Amino acid sequence: MAYPYTHEKEVRILSQGWGDPRTRTVEGWKALGGYTALEKALGMSRQEVIEEVKVSGLRGRGGAGFPTGIKWSFMPGEKKGPHYLCCNADESEPGTFKDRELLRWTPHQLIEGCLIGAYAIQAEHVFIYCRGEFFEATQVLARAVEEAYEAGYIGKNILGSGHDIDITVFAGAGAYICGEETALMNSIEGRRGLPRVKPPFPAAVGLFGKPTTINNVETLSSIPHILNNGGSWYRQWGTEKSPGTKLFCVSGHVRRPGNYELPLGFPLEELIYDVCGGFREGRSLKAVIPGGSSVPIMSAADCEGCTLDYEGVVEKGSMLGCASVIIMDDSTNIVKQVRRMVDFYAHESCGQCTPCREGTQWLARILLRIEKGRGTAEDLDTLLELGNQMTGTTICVLSDSAAAPVASSIQKFKDDYLALIRRGEKVGAA
Amino acid sequence: MSDSKKMGGKGDIPFRNPGWAGNTGEFDLTEDEVRGLDYVGTRPAGGGHPGAAATYPYMLTERTPDASLFQGPYLERYEKIRSRFPTAQGALLPTLNLAQEVRGHVSSDTMREVGALLGLSDAYVRGVASFYTMYNKREVGRFLIQVCTNISCNLCGGDEVMAAFLKHLDTEMGQTTPDGLFTVMEVECLAACGTPTAVQINSRYFENVTPDDVPAILERLRSEVG
Repeated sequence: MAYPYTHEKEVRILSQGWGDPRTRTVEGWKALGGYTALEKALGMSRQEVIEEVKVSGLRGRGGAGFPTGIKWSFMPGEKKGPHYLCCNADESEPGTFKDRELLRWTPHQLIEGCLIGAYAIQAEHVFIYCRGEFFEATQVLARAVEEAYEAGYIGKNILGSGHDIDITVFAGAGAYICGEETALMNSIEGRRGLPRVKPPFPAAVGLFGKPTTINNVETLSSIPHILNNGGSWYRQWGTEKSPGTKLFCVSGHVRRPGNYELPLGFPLEELIYDVCGGFREGRSLKAVIPGGSSVPIMSAADCEGCTLDYEGVVEKGSMLGCASVIIMDDSTNIVKQVRRMVDFYAHESCGQCTPCREGTQWLARILLRIEKGRGTAEDLDTLLELGNQMTGTTICVLSDSAAAPVASSIQKFKDDYLALIRRGEKVGAA
Repeated sequence: MSDSKKMGGKGDIPFRNPGWAGNTGEFDLTEDEVRGLDYVGTRPAGGGHPGAAATYPYMLTERTPDASLFQGPYLERYEKIRSRFPTAQGALLPTLNLAQEVRGHVSSDTMREVGALLGLSDAYVRGVASFYTMYNKREVGRFLIQVCTNISCNLCGGDEVMAAFLKHLDTEMGQTTPDGLFTVMEVECLAACGTPTAVQINSRYFENVTPDDVPAILERLRSEVG
């Protein structure tokens, strides 16, 4: 049996082999056309590979949506020392659970993408940074790496091309911030996972001080299909600016949560009511977080006519991020959920920038006070002011991410906050 | 599959993805096949290929707190890990992982020994180890139960699952039960948001966990250690 939940509107490219244990093996992956793209790429020039990816319009799937081909072209053309490719498998944005499936069901798809990427940017070593908690998925990937070494796809002189590429699977140790690309590099270097000031950008000074590119698991997993079928093939799905398919991770109050691979530009309402089966009896939509906990919350009204591409979600005042759609019905206590998200950021702040280290803690404390019925109306102004001071003032965007759901929820669900505040007044809380 | 089955229909926690919860749900597969353990097989203690040597689970039921660092196959694995990094410092996290795999936690003494091995100061290693939450700085129960209460699980009853573990074990968050078997902790998002509530127990995920599942999970764990 295939993956336990699928939908007829899905376009299953990356998720084609999910649910079938055979796909984990070299043989199983080859049966799905695997490793032909690698062969093809090695027969092309690096420039041609990058050009094909540029044509596809593939945008980074880790959240920022930066065009992958352009990112690769930032790497120095002339090689003066080692180059590195890092694959970011430190999936830990609340609401996101696609990379884990890519790792544990289709590890060779990722390995093939890593090898093609490494070839394109002249890297001889790929580090795949898996989050520490992914013990099971990481072992599946590790076994696949061993198998690919045995089959001659990784290592010295791959497929007789004269190119050497190594892959090392790295297991983290529990730090959300290591999903930030420069923190990830610090972590591989054996440091605390503190984001670095940019510039210099990783393509100039990256891992161990060498030119480095960091790509998400889903991005690299898309590469073999683009190479096999051509960049323009990929453009048959999605929109002009957001081409291709995307894994949508849907969680929360819908009947069929899960991963669905859909063309970018898919209507949000169709995703909620058709693909995911809508809400339980008597419940209705209250709020949606369309791109993981770091992006602004959308109200039910914002969802009307919203299309799930990078531009479409921005039009509605939020961001697509990594397409982690968290859906909340009308039973949801918004203040509690925002407080829980902010607790997360307070816990995960690396602590190097003051606005984030202090700000996340204060947001959490004030939100808890409001949730417990001890808040005041002035607290809302304080939260917004704190959020302002936390936005655009730090090395990385964790601070902004903590402020975004607070500001947007106060803007869109002010009555929920005020109800808790008034309840406090009624019971005469101190 | 009927709608009621999709929904699970249990009180306030009706959302059950037809995935798996230690049971295999709607998969027509064994648990090992879902987890991929049949494919992984028994991995050699010495580490197999060096590119995969840094990936062994390091939260185990069996541990030896006073074992020396590193001997036999563990030394072999350490050397393979070290060979993958251009600097000794680069091998720090995988080496700490390996130390925790052997000893079950990373004490101050362990940090010092790892530092000596890699030519790093005690203070530096402590600074790094204290940054990462998965290093147990003190001994924990043989089963470290980590319940996700972040937003997606929380919406579907993560707090109730947490409460159920605490109730059935008659313990408090962060405490170890007197028999030394269980420590229950809250954990941040485990990236299993489509199958709430996600619970990580040592190196294993349990998904779709409801408060009603908790006694059976505990029973299963107890039977594993006899």
